[in-house]
Amino acid sequence: MAFIVTACGGTVRMDPPTIPTPLLSPLPLTVAVRYPANFGDFSHEEEVLGGEEWTIHLGRSNEVLFTELFGYMFEDVRILGPDDDPFTMDIDAYIEPSIDAFEFSVPNQTRTDSFAVWVRYRLKVWNSMGDQIANWPLAAYGKSQATVLGGSDALQRAAVLAMRDAAALMIDKMDRETGIGSTQRRRPPALDRSPATAADPETNLGNNLIEVRRNDAG
Amino acid sequence: MMQADKRNTGLKLALVCLALSMASGCVTSRIENAREMATGIADGESIVIMAKSYHLGNETEASYISCVEDALSRGRSGLSVIPHQQFVDSLFPWFEPRTAPAETKGLEELMERPGVAERIAEQGVRYIIWLDGDTDRVAGGGSLSCAAGPGGGGCFGFAWWQNDADYNASIWDLKGLDSAGTVSADYSGTSFLPALVVPIPLIARTKAAACKGLAEQLHAFIVSEPQV
Repeated sequence: MAFIVTACGGTVRMDPPTIPTPLLSPLPLTVAVRYPANFGDFSHEEEVLGGEEWTIHLGRSNEVLFTELFGYMFEDVRILGPDDDPFTMDIDAYIEPSIDAFEFSVPNQTRTDSFAVWVRYRLKVWNSMGDQIANWPLAAYGKSQATVLGGSDALQRAAVLAMRDAAALMIDKMDRETGIGSTQRRRPPALDRSPATAADPETNLGNNLIEVRRNDAG
Repeated sequence: MMQADKRNTGLKLALVCLALSMASGCVTSRIENAREMATGIADGESIVIMAKSYHLGNETEASYISCVEDALSRGRSGLSVIPHQQFVDSLFPWFEPRTAPAETKGLEELMERPGVAERIAEQGVRYIIWLDGDTDRVAGGGSLSCAAGPGGGGCFGFAWWQNDADYNASIWDLKGLDSAGTVSADYSGTSFLPALVVPIPLIARTKAAACKGLAEQLHAFIVSEPQV
């Protein structure tokens, strides 16, 4: 996975952001997650004050970060492919994250030494019956000083901090804001499938399904 | 006669350059502290230097945090300082800019979160020192111009600027879950750049002086009182 920043013909690549193992008690839920197409390959282009053109390519950074984060937050996480139907699976909740907006500022805009990045995410959550229970917009913010790290490195660092900020916000507030912790596993008997059945190729389910299980209590 | 004058002028110029190069810009300082409780640090106890959240508008430079960390841990009487990023990572996500407690009254709730008190105890962290403030250029002036030609080049003129370094440190005692006090450092430094063919910078190292001064005062603040 690559995160690319292009400025005045320059290109910078960085390793995918990771988060430390969080101190939390995971919710005893099985959740399914589907990332929209642009979530795994998000780009942002902008001409800033002074005529500099910037293109920021997030690549799969968000997808990797959210998969890691949800793996810590819930007992069992299943990443769905585009054709998977979450409501035929043995899950407690279904989550659809997306990016509403991505913005950044560079020092000559703010007349400071800092680069800043804002990412506005949205989390839609459904219960196992298919009822949408939450539509939560969350704004994450990261800032880094150019004087220490240099311009491109500082912008990367600001983006990583914004994503880390989003992770902290979700750990702290997601249950309260979405009520996902109170989702009950209520499935009609006919739809009560084990993960193995759900992945049966004849039913065309689980084509791209990836299961993320926690290995320890964090 | 003219040759002697030229030699004298050259000698004077060289002496002026030497004197200027041995000098530096001037820095003035004011350090104050306000103690709210007795302090002290035992063997095996450590401290953490943190920047107050940028979510609250704080602009403290990462280099300043590192400088204070180094200054406090240096020498035979140096304190055990846990690197701030190591501390933040070990307690993720509860000391992120968004989630870190802004006041000591949030410490009790923080300690009740799963694993937090244990991680802090494992690292022996007794004090968290929150820094806010920054170094800014507040004034400047003068005029300096440089030119170059086939026969050589040079600069002529005089420029100056003033930097103010204002930092405030809040010391939290994690044993008593309360504020131990504050230390503030206000430094002002004026740098000069005279140029007579060659520019001679006389730089006032305001931020470095503020780092050293604040670290010395923090060290005294923490260790000078009897153990509580």
